[in-house]
Parts: sequence; structure tokens; C-alpha cells
Amino acid sequence: MKLRYFTSVFLIATLVGCNDDDNSPYMYDDMMDDDMMSVDFSGTYSQEDHLGRPGINTTLSYDMDGQPSIKDAHNMTIPSEMTAMFQAGFQARLEQYHDVYALKLGLDPADVNYENNILGLDAATLTTVLSADVLEVAPDLPTTYFDPGTDFDNDGRILVPDGDEVALTGRRPSDDIIDVSLILFFGGMEGDRFSGQDLDDDGVADLPRLTSDGVSLTADISTTFPYLGAPE
Amino acid sequence: MKQSIKYALGLSGMAALLVTLVAADHIDAPSSAGTSADIADFYAFEPSEGSDNTVFVVDLQSNVLPDLAYGTFDEDVLTEINIDLDGDLIEDQVIQAIARNGRMYFFGPTAPEQTGLTSMVYTDTPLGDVEISSSMAIVETTDAGVSLFAGPRQDPFFFDFFQFNAVISPELDSAPGGFLPAGEAIDTFDGANTMSIVVEIPNGMLGTPTATNALGLSVYKTWVTTNRKQ
Repeated sequence: MKLRYFTSVFLIATLVGCNDDDNSPYMYDDMMDDDMMSVDFSGTYSQEDHLGRPGINTTLSYDMDGQPSIKDAHNMTIPSEMTAMFQAGFQARLEQYHDVYALKLGLDPADVNYENNILGLDAATLTTVLSADVLEVAPDLPTTYFDPGTDFDNDGRILVPDGDEVALTGRRPSDDIIDVSLILFFGGMEGDRFSGQDLDDDGVADLPRLTSDGVSLTADISTTFPYLGAPE
Repeated sequence: MKQSIKYALGLSGMAALLVTLVAADHIDAPSSAGTSADIADFYAFEPSEGSDNTVFVVDLQSNVLPDLAYGTFDEDVLTEINIDLDGDLIEDQVIQAIARNGRMYFFGPTAPEQTGLTSMVYTDTPLGDVEISSSMAIVETTDAGVSLFAGPRQDPFFFDFFQFNAVISPELDSAPGGFLPAGEAIDTFDGANTMSIVVEIPNGMLGTPTATNALGLSVYKTWVTTNRKQ
């Protein structure tokens, strides 16, 4: 019985697809499937993956050989329980990244540590915020993930909150979430702590460039639905 | 604490020291990486200034690396967009999407009978359905003003992923100078495609949030999950 329904729906869908094949940039499919409820949607579904803010699990969970995967555990944890489970590990990970560059710079890892970022967040607070992996989006405000180039209050520094900002209101495909993230991790209070500075003016950078990965949007996006470019 | 969590931001910069991986969520964990349930990315935004709609984009799978699963929606995978209205980080509304026979069916938004890790399809609250596109976008707009899309699209994520792996490597001679300057850096995701599900929905159908972000602005707190039929 179910197979018959499947077949009929498939045939209808195929025919409509052919009918809509015109030369316009988009094909509008006006058919609401009257047979929708006869398609089989029964069963129980168990969670396999989770995503809120881009890259949280990817970047701050750390799997060690021989241990149960933290990354897998993160994908199977509900957001209200995430901070208790993952904040401490995230904070350790953040510090570990600084140790890597201390060694590359020939410095004692104990002397190169995370510094409060442009938002004034210490490592514990930043990782507490990030460990609850949800994406906030405002229904009634423009979407601003973050603009790391804006000096909101014209004090010569970027990203110093002065109370009237609109931010944290969603994420657009064009947002450079990598650079924002790098600035928060490695930028320190001015946002440029490790940005390839040439300290002795000899034409060679003395500090690593960690606050931008140097790339920008390359994909086609659109201002109209569905907002993403046709596949390449 | 509340004051100090101003600008809670998405992070995507860093990764495990010794493992190869891809951000944003592309291949984020061993059990989901490369499967038909792997969530590559998630976007939520106001489509234009002053709009009363919200757009949700879910990208599943990606062909950023040649061996990744990519190309079709798995009928055993239920995608859920979760929306928390009151800030307790438990979903108050869900929008569901699942493929059947070349079409993507959408349900909700509805209050889930059961929150958490187990789901069922809420067939009592159909939202609409749309033929799964090939390269040309097929768009359905329902009488309620909801726009629906499902199909392959360009993966808009951008990141110099290979330089990133060099940056985080503990080898002392691996990228001591960090990332490359613009012009030398390469977007690893240039040319990659993904399987996208896009929903544009009037805010009135989602409800009015009482949750606020760290700046005190009213926000939906949202996340996406994939769930496999048992």
C-alpha cells in the first residue's frame, strides 16, 4: 500500500517538474501535494548531529586517542546541558592554542596566555558563552553577526561596546565568522594582538598573523530567495 | 555574568591540534563526518531590512573534500530547526524537513511533543512541500507566505582551511608566521557545493521571543539537528 502512494507521488512530482521547465531563472512549483498525508512519515528519529554557532564543536572540542569522542558527545547533548559538560574543556583548548605559538616564538608557554578580548571577556566567560551552542537571531532587527572593522564610538578602537550596538542578531552567508572568531581568540583587547606586526621595522613580521585567515566570500549569493548561488 | 557576556559570538577559528577537520561544522565529529546526516552549516537572518520574515538555511553534507558524502537527501534523515523563545535553551517550536520521493516535506512550526534527542514527524502540522531542485532553483511559496527550497547550492562558507591546519600544528616550523595575507590565502571552499534546505517564514508563525541576547535585544535562540530513523 505504501509503495503505491510513493509511486504516485513520484510520478506527479516528475510531471510537474517537466511542466515548470521554462527559461525563467527560477521555476515556481505551484503544486501543493494533496496526497501529502498518504506519504509514510512514521517512525522514531534519533539525533545524530547538532549545530548552533558555526564551528564551536569543530574548534573547541578535542578528541584524544583512546578516549571517547568529545565531538560526538557534543552532537548528542541538548543545549541546556552543554555548558556543564563542555566549558572546562573549551577553556583548556583555548589556552593550548596559545601554548603552540609560544613555542613557535621561542617563548615560555607560561608567558603567552589568552588575554581578555575586545569585548572584555576573560577565557572562562568566553568559553561559557560559546559552550551553549545556539545561534541567536532577532526577529525585528537587522542581522549583524559582527563587523570587526567598525569603531562604534569613534574612540580609535574597534568593537568597544558603548551601549547602542545592534549585534548578535543572526548570521548571513556573507559574514566572515572565521575572522571574527580569530580576533576573539587571539586579538586581545585591541583586536590586533597577533596580526603580523613588524616590531623592529626591518620589513619582516615579528609576530604571527592569527587574527585573519586572509580570505573572503567566493561563492555566489543572492538578495532573493533562496539566497544561495546555483551549484558549481 | 550577564553583563560580561556581551557579544556572545560564533567561533570558528580553531581546531584539534593533530586531527584534520573542516569548519564551520563541516566534518565536525567522527560519528557524523561524511554521512548523509552531517550538518555542514547553519544560517539565520532577516532577509531585508524591515522584513517581518526570518530565513533559516541548513546546509547538509559538502563536497569540499572529494571523499565526502554529497548529492542527495537521505529519506531516513529528519532535519529539525529548533527555536527557543524563552531563553531556557529548550526548544519551544520546531520546523521539520524530510525528503520523500523527490520532494522535501516541511512540518511545523509546532511545539514538540517531546524535546531533546528523540523526534517524530509532526504530520498534524504540515507547512508545505517543494520539489527537490537540481541546478535550477524550484521555489514553493505557501498561502501562509512561507517560502521553501531544497536542493544543491554553492557552499558559501569561506576559510583557508589548509593554512589553518598548518597554523595549529604543534610542529615548530609549521606556519610560524600564522595565516597568509589576502592575495596569498586560498579559500578552501571555493567551488564546493552543499545540499541546502531554506525556509523563509513570517515571524508571526514562530511567536514572540522573550529571550534576549547579551545586549538585551529580543532574539530567537536557534539550532539545527539531524535525526536518523531508527
